Amino acid sequence: MDVELTDADLVRQIGAERDSNAEAELFRRMAPRLRLYGLRHLRDPHAAEDLAQQVLITTLEALRAGRLREPEKLASFMLGTCRMTVLELRRGAHRRERLLAQFGADLLPASSSGPRVDHDQLLRCVRNLKERERTVVVMTFYDEQAGAEVARFLGISEANVRVIRHRAIRELRACMGVAA
Amino acid sequence: MSVTSCSDPIDAAVLADYWRAALPSAEEEAVELHLLECDRCGDRLRETMALAEALRRLAREGNLRMVVSDAFLERAAADGVRVREYTVPPGGSVQCTVTADDDLLIGRLVADLSEAGRVDLCFCDARGVEQGRLPDIPHNPTSDSVVFQESITAMKAAPTFTMIARLVGVDEAGGERVLGEYTFNHSRSLPGPAGW
Repeated sequence: MDVELTDADLVRQIGAERDSNAEAELFRRMAPRLRLYGLRHLRDPHAAEDLAQQVLITTLEALRAGRLREPEKLASFMLGTCRMTVLELRRGAHRRERLLAQFGADLLPASSSGPRVDHDQLLRCVRNLKERERTVVVMTFYDEQAGAEVARFLGISEANVRVIRHRAIRELRACMGVAA
Repeated sequence: MSVTSCSDPIDAAVLADYWRAALPSAEEEAVELHLLECDRCGDRLRETMALAEALRRLAREGNLRMVVSDAFLERAAADGVRVREYTVPPGGSVQCTVTADDDLLIGRLVADLSEAGRVDLCFCDARGVEQGRLPDIPHNPTSDSVVFQESITAMKAAPTFTMIARLVGVDEAGGERVLGEYTFNHSRSLPGPAGW
């Protein structure tokens, strides 16, 4: 499969030709993106995997049936499907077993590992932050506090908290050697 | 959009806000559409998620000397983290220690911060000679104290010694005014060398 094919190209090939290579490429390409969406909204890797599989299957059904009239709008279609699927998963009313029986052989396993972070380097980088930046970062990622709560604690505006948080994240990424 | 390149990458800080569910809904939708088309930004989001998780672990370890909030302490306690806290009034002193079971070591320095602009937290030896400083610490003028976390690892390894913490207000011209001094008489409770 030519990796230069756009997502819209894949949609056309699936709709017009039932191209199994295009379907496989669509699964390979979209599954990691859908898992990210699932992780963000469901906060659980297994639930994210469920979501990815269900959205892929729903999408494939639609593409085979030619229901996506504008191939350039694949992302919009999948985003809408993601939202509906999250609601279904949260209600516990999903069709996983039936769909897996039908399409399971086409589904790829999830990648098991994400990026690794050098703990000692991160400790050095966090120590190098300014005091306010360090406090904002810890309150944000450990306390999971909203900007308004951090702003109240620091006696500054929410906009200022956002500025401090964004600067700190960029500095941390630069210190850790990843692109800003 | 290409699979392998991105002409309009999303700022990592915005991705961090996305991961925290802190974006307005319109901005969140734009980010999600982009992420469904762009693997480069997806990789950047994964890096951001890993960084967020590593920061969470780092904060939980208690090895950072830093100012924290009461909400931080409440969250830590809810997570099962064992917190040892000492509250000291201005000019006061406290006998303190740390045991193997402690996870976080907290000093609560009571002070009138209502008139303070910039505040520095200085760490001094027993004679009051400054050894280190956290400049421009975060503080709220309406609060009656500064809560700071000392590195639990450093203090578990520390011998018996005295440390003076000093809160200093700094005006725009660089002039300093002591807001409070707080003496911590640390007694070693874990085996180790007698001195540093």
